[in-house]
Amino acid sequence: MLRGGVFVAVLVTLPMLGLQHWFLNLLVFVLMYATMSSSWNLVGGFAGYPSLGHAGFFGIGAYTLALVFKDQVLATGYEPFLLLPLVGLVGALIGWPIALISMRTRADVFAIVTITFLFVVQTLAFNLHSLTGGSQGTALPIPPFSADHFEVPFYYVMVAMLLFTMGLTFATMRSKLGLSLVSIRADEDKARGVGVRVIGVKVLAFSVSVGITSMVGAVWAYYESFIYPQFAVDPLITIAMVLMTFLGGRGTLWGPVLGAVILESGQQYLTYELGGVQLYLIVYALIFLVIILLLPRGILPTIEDRLRLRRRRRRTDEAAAVWPEGPAIPSNTDSLSTLGGGAP
Amino acid sequence: MSDLLSVQDVTKVFGGVRAVDGASLSVKEGTITALIGPNGSGKTTLFNIITGYLKADAGRVEFDGNDVTGSDAGRLYRKGLSRTFQQARIFPQLTVQENLVVAGGYGWRKLFTSRVGREDRERADSLLEEFRLDRVSDLFASELSYGQRKLLEFAAVLMSEPKLVLLDEPTAGVNPVLIETMERHVRERNAAGITFLIVEHDMTFVMRLCDPVIVLDAGKPIFAGAPSVVQNNALVLDAYLGS
Repeated sequence: MLRGGVFVAVLVTLPMLGLQHWFLNLLVFVLMYATMSSSWNLVGGFAGYPSLGHAGFFGIGAYTLALVFKDQVLATGYEPFLLLPLVGLVGALIGWPIALISMRTRADVFAIVTITFLFVVQTLAFNLHSLTGGSQGTALPIPPFSADHFEVPFYYVMVAMLLFTMGLTFATMRSKLGLSLVSIRADEDKARGVGVRVIGVKVLAFSVSVGITSMVGAVWAYYESFIYPQFAVDPLITIAMVLMTFLGGRGTLWGPVLGAVILESGQQYLTYELGGVQLYLIVYALIFLVIILLLPRGILPTIEDRLRLRRRRRRTDEAAAVWPEGPAIPSNTDSLSTLGGGAP
Repeated sequence: MSDLLSVQDVTKVFGGVRAVDGASLSVKEGTITALIGPNGSGKTTLFNIITGYLKADAGRVEFDGNDVTGSDAGRLYRKGLSRTFQQARIFPQLTVQENLVVAGGYGWRKLFTSRVGREDRERADSLLEEFRLDRVSDLFASELSYGQRKLLEFAAVLMSEPKLVLLDEPTAGVNPVLIETMERHVRERNAAGITFLIVEHDMTFVMRLCDPVIVLDAGKPIFAGAPSVVQNNALVLDAYLGS
């Protein structure tokens, strides 16, 4: 609770500190990726379905907003933000049948099916000229915000979306829905066999997840004011979401946010240092290797495991000091070993 | 006693192998019925068909007076037909208590309620105490020994208050103390009204606990009767030992 309060207070206060434009711009992108990673976590982290198609929905959100506001003049500049829930609904409704079909497959096959969807969306974005402008791109109205505070409205909208997504994640973790998703990740057939509503639960998670991703795509499109298919439907967006979630810790509340802070700010720094060339991708690959080798469960779960082990060891040591001649307080599992038979 | 489960002319073919070949059998309400047979006789395949994990190529399955042929495993579970597996299957990332709660067979509305509500906790704790797993209820299930996992899996399927429980080799790979514990739990639950169908290779366990015994060979039942008769039946001896 305290951690959450401090987090919200810091996020709300940051723009009031007179930060430079480049830093606010960086924060907007960190918040975008933190929101997308948190939403990806609902399906990739909790349910264990590694979707690689989320960038397709990012593009759908971007083009939905572009289509609605094409050639329009904005009075206040806040109109596109008011339309975000509708964009989310469009993404979720498109995601529903996609999930029903693609989630008949699992693991690597599911990843291939979803990345295929991404390329279908990209191909459509390139070829539906009347809707998307094709490879020449399409323009959105330029936000009529003052140059001094241009990033601030986008920043606060992204803060609201991140908090919404984290609130949703928290509620999921605390509900039977979260319990069902974790059981699906552990053993889907067994989960089905004990009455978990497998299909409904995972389709719901996917739809909500891609709905949020669509909303972020819409904010990004408005922020950029001009979008091209290769950037609006970019596989690297999906890769970033997956990497951030895995780095921070999938199936956790804070993991995707931590991953986004580390990787997005790192990427911006490397882009600045190395220039426009995409050398940062090599660093991405190295980070992925390090995660696989050293932190297969991500930063937060690894720290949690180590703390839990330390606490247990300390309890055992304390018990041994109190009762040196006898066995240290048997762990619960040991105490039942006569019942339990062999090793796990 | 009426039939709680009825299997009629069920067939399942894998490639060129007829794993179940026109099998028909029934399980009467309130019994502890054994399904035995040599390896490869089709016991587990039949289990998978009855519980909705596999679809039969032909035949009909009735449970509690309803035709459930081809029904989904989850739907059957919610109707009161549950099972355990030969290799204990639990959810290692969930705690022991959560392993029970997730098996509650909840409807849609319940999905949005608390992860472990007061009622869930009371019901799970009562079962965990009964199975002497209460001291490990907060541990992750991955930390349990194999025998404890077997007990946990058994306890979990009781969360939905089933009418019929299918146990697939409940004593496989566990020590004699646990076998006695398993036997006691089956007897107690049977006395409380649950019907059991058990696949088992431990013949002393079967002879002590089950009546009737159905013998399967080459995908179809060759005998059904009291355990004392089974031991001396020529067909059964032939199936197990060869002529």
